[in-house]
Amino acid sequence: MFKGFAEWLKNLKNEGVEHISVEERRAFLKLGLVITGVYAGGTLLSVVSRVREVYADIPEYVGHYPYKPHYSMVLRTDRCIDCERCMEACRKTNHVPPYGWRTRILEQHFPKGPGEWERRFMPILCNHCNEPPCVRACPTKATFKDPKTGIVRMNIKKCIGCKTCMAACPYDMRYFNEEKRAIDKCDFCWESRLSEGEFPTACAKACPAGVRIFGDLSDPESQVYQLVHDPQRAIWVLRPSMGARPNVFYTIN
Amino acid sequence: MKKSLLLITIFLTLGLILHALPSVGQDGEEEAEYPTYPIIFTKPLKAVLFDHKIHVEEAGLSCEDCHEEVFPMEAGATQENEDFNMESLYNGNYCGTCHDGETAFASNTRCATCHIGVMGWKRLTQKTEEAEEKGEH
Repeated sequence: MFKGFAEWLKNLKNEGVEHISVEERRAFLKLGLVITGVYAGGTLLSVVSRVREVYADIPEYVGHYPYKPHYSMVLRTDRCIDCERCMEACRKTNHVPPYGWRTRILEQHFPKGPGEWERRFMPILCNHCNEPPCVRACPTKATFKDPKTGIVRMNIKKCIGCKTCMAACPYDMRYFNEEKRAIDKCDFCWESRLSEGEFPTACAKACPAGVRIFGDLSDPESQVYQLVHDPQRAIWVLRPSMGARPNVFYTIN
Repeated sequence: MKKSLLLITIFLTLGLILHALPSVGQDGEEEAEYPTYPIIFTKPLKAVLFDHKIHVEEAGLSCEDCHEEVFPMEAGATQENEDFNMESLYNGNYCGTCHDGETAFASNTRCATCHIGVMGWKRLTQKTEEAEEKGEH
């Protein structure tokens, strides 16, 4: 059966690796075999697939979109220059008071070498989680996940201002609005724009650097879908260990 | 007696004032040939920082390399131009003269190297304000 197998193997033409698609390459690498032990004079290979192990890969819940449209935002964080036009647009559109915030920008210093660092700005907003800790914490169901769009919204009539949700939010994206006497937060501009048929959110529209990409993650034609599902792209979420399953994704380039 | 007291007082106050001034050229140090204060652009958006020191000391540029052809020698003059924006840089104007990916890193990379943002701008302007306040007292 294996007669001439070696010959056949030797005569195979090298096809090179440049025609292998990323998906194919990834599937092959996932077959990765693990040497688990060396025993008594001989080698014993235990063949274990590493597929089940955790990769720094896109979050495992991506690909399952229970809402229609499933609103989401991708932040190309390395483009952010902290011009704060998004914050200004948000304040204006959603009447955010000076002491409050619906979106913010953080500054990070990445060490580049001895005594050198690179600046990176990181915009944050409500992550509109699939498993929102704030919704779980709210005693009056004042904050809820919109069953149609998945946007985490506020019903200010029900809010009693107990601030439990503020403590529960892993992203510190809720504040108490003195005028409304209720908690206020980002709602992807649902009340101010989306429900009026305007698209996209005020912050995404105001960004001059193309940092904020807003859209429907369940639509394969949308830019958010294409960014999140690009196998060559690093996609991450903030604080994945919280298990909140955010719908706000981060990437670079 | 009164005269000598007055003289001494004048002498001491003069001494104090002179002492407070930074020593200039006493120890043979030449003053820098370029502005040591940060050049901050706030238009069309806040904020971009240009540091003369890095460009002169590390990149080895001379004044004539940029002044007056690329930039006028007046802080804040360039940003009044309509076309002072990224698009124009990509076409090889202003910073894009060198920041084209060959002479220096391309204008469409490493954004936050020059863009210090509103936060950076606030930090710097607060610093200079504090320095001015200190100078007054």
